[in-house]
Amino acid sequence: MLDIRRISTSRWWHKKKNWIFFGIFLFLFYVRISKGSFYKDIYYFISQPFWPGQFQKEIILKSIDQESLIKLNLLKKDNKRLRAILSLQESSDNDDILAAVISRKTGSWWRQIILNKGSKDGVKIGSTVLGPGGLLGRVNNTSYLTSSVTLLTSPVSKVGVWVDRIEISGLLVGLGNDYPSLMLYSKDADIKVGDFVSSSPASTLLPPNIPIGIVQSIDEPSEAKKTAKILLLAKPQAIDWVQILNSKI
Amino acid sequence: MNKFFKKKSSLIFFIFVPIIFLWHPNWLGFLGVQPYWPLFWLLPWSMIYGSINGIIYGLFFGLILDSLTINSNLTQIPGLILCGFLFGRIKVHSDILLGHFRYGLICSFGSFLCGVLYSLQILIQNFSNSTFLLFIPSVQNILTEVFLTGFFAPIICSQLFRVFKLSGRKV
Repeated sequence: MLDIRRISTSRWWHKKKNWIFFGIFLFLFYVRISKGSFYKDIYYFISQPFWPGQFQKEIILKSIDQESLIKLNLLKKDNKRLRAILSLQESSDNDDILAAVISRKTGSWWRQIILNKGSKDGVKIGSTVLGPGGLLGRVNNTSYLTSSVTLLTSPVSKVGVWVDRIEISGLLVGLGNDYPSLMLYSKDADIKVGDFVSSSPASTLLPPNIPIGIVQSIDEPSEAKKTAKILLLAKPQAIDWVQILNSKI
Repeated sequence: MNKFFKKKSSLIFFIFVPIIFLWHPNWLGFLGVQPYWPLFWLLPWSMIYGSINGIIYGLFFGLILDSLTINSNLTQIPGLILCGFLFGRIKVHSDILLGHFRYGLICSFGSFLCGVLYSLQILIQNFSNSTFLLFIPSVQNILTEVFLTGFFAPIICSQLFRVFKLSGRKV
C-alpha cells in the first residue's frame, strides 16, 4: 500500500488570523452568556460624568409634599396593622436602594433602563423598581456595578394587577409601545375609563398595592376576555432616579 | 499615536456602536425609537471586505447587542448576519452623490429586514394571548426605525466608508 501524504501543511488551524477570530468569538460568546455584564460595567465608568446630578435629586426629594407624606405614613401604618389582622402578605421598606438611571431605552422593542447599582449594592434579580408615580418594572439581571430593569411597556413584561373599583385581578402585558394592555379574563367585567390599577395583592412577583396606572380606553370584548389600554403613572422616559425594593414579598 | 488611531479606527467605531446603543440619545430619535446603529458600521465594512467578513461581524454585533438587551429569548443575530451577507454583495458605486443616497436605501432595507425578523420572534412567542395587540406597535416601531436609519445612513455610512478605506486593513 502506498502511503499518501500531503505535501502542503497549510491547514486552517495553522493560520494565526483564524485563531484570533476564534478567540474573539469565544470572548463575545462569554459576554453573551454573562448577559453583557462586562460591557455594562465598562459603560458604568464611561457614563459616570453624565449621570443626573445631586441637585436634580434634591429637587425630586423636595418636591414630595410634606403633608401627603405624613398622610401616607399614617395610611401605611394602618395598612400594616390591618394586613397583620388578615394575615396577608407584608412588604417592608427597610432594604430600599436609591439608584440613578444611566441608560434608558424607552422606545422600540428594547424597553429597559440600566441603573447604577448592581449586585455590589445588594440589588437582586426580580426586585421591584419604583419611580415617581408608581411601578416602573422589575430587575431582570444584575452585573457587579449595574442592574437592568424590564419596563412594564416591554413586550416581555407580564405582571398581575388589581383593579380596585371592581375588585378583580388581571394581567398587564407590555406591547412595545407606551401603553401596556390590561387583560381581564372575564367578558362581563365592568371596567371603566379612569379606573385605577395597582399591583395585585395575590401577586407572587410584586409587593401589593403599588400604583401602576389608569385605564385610558377599553377595547371591544373578544371571546372570553376584555382588554384595556393603560396610561402608566410613572414615566420612564423622564425619570432620573428610582427606588429599588429588595423587600420580601 | 495618530497612526495608531488611523489604523484602528474601524475597531474604535465598532466598539462605539454598542455604547451608542446603550446611550440611546433621545435627540437623535423619533417617537422614542432610534436608528438601527449596527447597520451604519456593517454596510461600509461589508462593501469593502465582502460577504464573509459581513457575516462574521454581523454575528459579533448580534452577540454583543443581544447581551445588552434583556429579552433573553429574542435575538438580533439572524437579521444582522443576513444584512452582513447582503451588504457584502453590493458593489461600490462610482457616482459619489448617487452612492451616498444609495446607502440610505440599503440601510433602510436592512433595518426593515432586521425589524421584521425581530418582531416575528416577538409575535411567535406571544402567539397565544396578545398577537393582534402586538402587531400595530411592531409595525410602528419598524417603520420609524426604517425612516431614521435611512435618514442618517448617507451621512454616517459615507464617512465610515472613507475612514475604513483609509485605514486599509482589517481589525
